[in-house]
Amino acid sequence: MVHTVIQALILGILTGGVYALMSTGQTLVFGVMRVVNVAQGVLVILAAYLSYTLYSQFGIDPFATIVLVMPAMFAVGVGIQLLFIRPVQRHRGSVTFEQTLLIMFAVAVGIEGILDLAYTSSYRSIDTSYANASWTVAGYTFSVVRVLAFALAVGLLGLLWLLLNKTPFGRAVRATVQNPTSARLLGVNTERIQALGMGVGVSLAGASGAVFGLIYPFDANSSYDLVSRLLSIIVLGGLGSVVGAVAGSLVLGVAEAVVQTFSPVWAPFTFLVVLIAVLLVRPQGLFGSAERGAL
Amino acid sequence: MRRRILSNRARRAALAVSAVAALALTAGCAAANGSSAQGSAKGPLVIGISLSLTGDFGDTGQAAERGYELWADQVNAHGGILGRQVELKIVDDTTSATQVVTNYESLITQDHVDLVFGPVSSLLTVPGAQVANRYGYAFIEPAGGAPNVFALHLHNIFLAQPAPVLQLGQSFVDYILSLPKAERPKTAAYSSVDNPFASPIVAEVQQQLQAAGIKTVLSQTYPSEQADLSPVVARVVAAKPDLVVDGTQGEDGYETIKDFVQQKFSPKFLFMPNDASDPVAFPAAVGMANVDGIYTADDWSALADRPGNQAFIAAYVAKYGGTAADIDPTSAEAYACGQLLAEVAAKTGSVSNATIIRALHSGTWTTIEGNLSWNAYGATNGHSGLLLQWQDHELVPVYPVADAAHAPENPKPYWGA
Repeated sequence: MVHTVIQALILGILTGGVYALMSTGQTLVFGVMRVVNVAQGVLVILAAYLSYTLYSQFGIDPFATIVLVMPAMFAVGVGIQLLFIRPVQRHRGSVTFEQTLLIMFAVAVGIEGILDLAYTSSYRSIDTSYANASWTVAGYTFSVVRVLAFALAVGLLGLLWLLLNKTPFGRAVRATVQNPTSARLLGVNTERIQALGMGVGVSLAGASGAVFGLIYPFDANSSYDLVSRLLSIIVLGGLGSVVGAVAGSLVLGVAEAVVQTFSPVWAPFTFLVVLIAVLLVRPQGLFGSAERGAL
Repeated sequence: MRRRILSNRARRAALAVSAVAALALTAGCAAANGSSAQGSAKGPLVIGISLSLTGDFGDTGQAAERGYELWADQVNAHGGILGRQVELKIVDDTTSATQVVTNYESLITQDHVDLVFGPVSSLLTVPGAQVANRYGYAFIEPAGGAPNVFALHLHNIFLAQPAPVLQLGQSFVDYILSLPKAERPKTAAYSSVDNPFASPIVAEVQQQLQAAGIKTVLSQTYPSEQADLSPVVARVVAAKPDLVVDGTQGEDGYETIKDFVQQKFSPKFLFMPNDASDPVAFPAAVGMANVDGIYTADDWSALADRPGNQAFIAAYVAKYGGTAADIDPTSAEAYACGQLLAEVAAKTGSVSNATIIRALHSGTWTTIEGNLSWNAYGATNGHSGLLLQWQDHELVPVYPVADAAHAPENPKPYWGA
C-alpha cells in the first residue's frame, strides 16, 4: 500500500504541474482584467488541436509546436480582449463580473462549435514515439511525457515570474492588478496592459494544450471537466494569485491522486472538501488578497 | 453514451396523451397506409429519420446515415419497396433530445412521412420512440439498446441489434467459462467508470466469473468526471490480476491503455467491452501497436458469417470507399433496420405501420445483425453479441464459435510486441 501511495504522490505532483500551467494563465487574466475566464478550458483544447495538427500534418514534435502555438494563442487572447471585452468596457464605462462571465462563456461555446465542425466529435490523441514511454526508478514509474510536461511547467512559470517581477511590463501588470486607477494616473496604459495580460494568460493555455494532448485523448467537449477544475484551483489558491494557482494545482493533483488509491469514487469530492475548508478559514483563498490582486 | 430517464409523472402524462392521440390518429394512419398496404401507391415511400449529424454523437449519426442511404440505394436499384421508390428524409437533431422530439413531430405531422426509423443512442431513442408511438408509427431503431428504452413499455420499438446493451459482456463470460479450468484466469480486477453503459456490464461479468471461482482482487468504480486516471490504473497494476475487465466509455478507455503501457503492466486477459470495439478510433487513440490481444464486444463484425454480410460490405466499400475494417457497426445497424422493413413488405405485402408492428412481434427475422426477434417492449431476445479480439491489428470475431473467424489467442502479447 505504501508503494501505491508514493506512486500516486508522484503522479499527483506531475499532474499538478500541468494544471499549474493552465491555471496560472487563468488567474493572471482574472488578476489583470477581473475577467472570469471560463473559456480557459476550451482554449487549452484549442491549443491541443493546433499542436495535434502541426504534429500530424507537418511532423513537428508536440513540445516544439509550443514555439508556434504560444504566439498563436497570445494573438487569440489579445483578439478576445479587443473584439469582445473592450467594446463592452468602452460602451458601458466598465465591465462587470457577470458580463465577463457571459462574454467568455459565449467565446467558449463559439470556439467549441468551430472545433466540433473542423475536427468532428472523434477523440484525438497525439501519439509520438515517446508518448507512452516511462522510466522506472527504485520501483516507481515516471511517465516521460509527464516529467517533460512538469519540467516545461516549471520553466514557463519561472519565465512568467521573471516577466512579472523583473520587467517594466510586469511592473505595469502588477500595478494594474493592485490598483488600475492609480496605475492609469501614473501613466500606465491599462487597456493595453489588459490586452497583453489576456494574451499572456491565453498563451499559457497554449503551452499547456500541447502537453494536454500528449497525455490525454481529447475532443472539443473535453474542456468542460477542465474548466470546473481550473476554477476550483484558482479559487483555492486565491483569485488573481499566480503563486496560489501553482499551490492550488499541486493540492488538487496530489489530493485526488492519493485519495484515488483508497477510493476513486471519493477523489473529486475530496478536493471540494479541501476547497470548502480553506474558504471557510480564508475566504480569499490560500494566497489571495482580501482587497485587490496579489500577483 | 448517456441516457435520460423520464420521471414517472412525465411518463404517465406522455402515455395518457399517447393513448388519446393514438386513438385519434391510428385510424388516420391506417387509412393513409391502406393504399400502400395493397402496394398500389405510386408515390415514393418516404421514411423520416432524425440523426445526430452534428454534436456529441455526430460521428455515430453520420455512420447511421451511410447505412440507411446504402440500404435505400440498393432497394431502389431493385425496384423499391412494393414498387415504390424509397425516399429518406433525414434531419439533424444535433445530439439534442429536445430536437429529436421536434424532428419526429415535424416529420410525422407536417411532412407526413410514411414511416420513421430511429436515431442513434438510447438518449435520443427514448423521446423519439414516444413521439412515434403517439402517432402509431413503428419505430425500428439501430442503436437504442439501454434498459430505459425498453422500460418505456412501448410496443412499437424494435432494436436492430442481436442483444440489449447490458448483455455486451455475456459472450466474454461464455468464452472464459468454456475454457478448461487450467486455462482460465485465476484472478480478476474489475474497473469501471460510473456510467449506465459501462458499470452494469462489468458488474454482470464480475458476478458470473466470481461465481465460477475466479478470484476478484480488485473491484472499483470511478466517477465519470475523473480527469486523470493514472492513479486509478495504478491500483489495477498493484493488484496484479490475470484478467482485467475495464468498463470504459470514450476518452477514459484510451487513457487507460496509455496508462497501462506507461506503468508497464500487461494482463494475460484484457476485456474492454466498449471502446476497444471501434475499429478506427481505438487504434488511432492508443496506437495500433498496443491493440493486439485485447478482447471487446459488439453486435456486428465485417468478418462475422451472417447472411448478406459480405454483400453489404462490398456495396458499402463500393459506395463510400475504404475497407471493411473502416465500417462503423452503426452503419450495419442502420442497414439492418432497412432490411427488416423490406422483409416485412415482402412477407406481408404491406408497409403500414400497424402491419410492421404486428409482423415484427412474431417470428424471427434475418439481418446482417443476426436473426432477430423481440420481446413485447422491443428488446431483442438474443443472449449475447459477438466477442471480438484484436489480432494482427485487426478486429476479428472469436466467439461464439458459429460466428468466429479465428480462434481466440491467449495470453495477450505485451504492449507493442
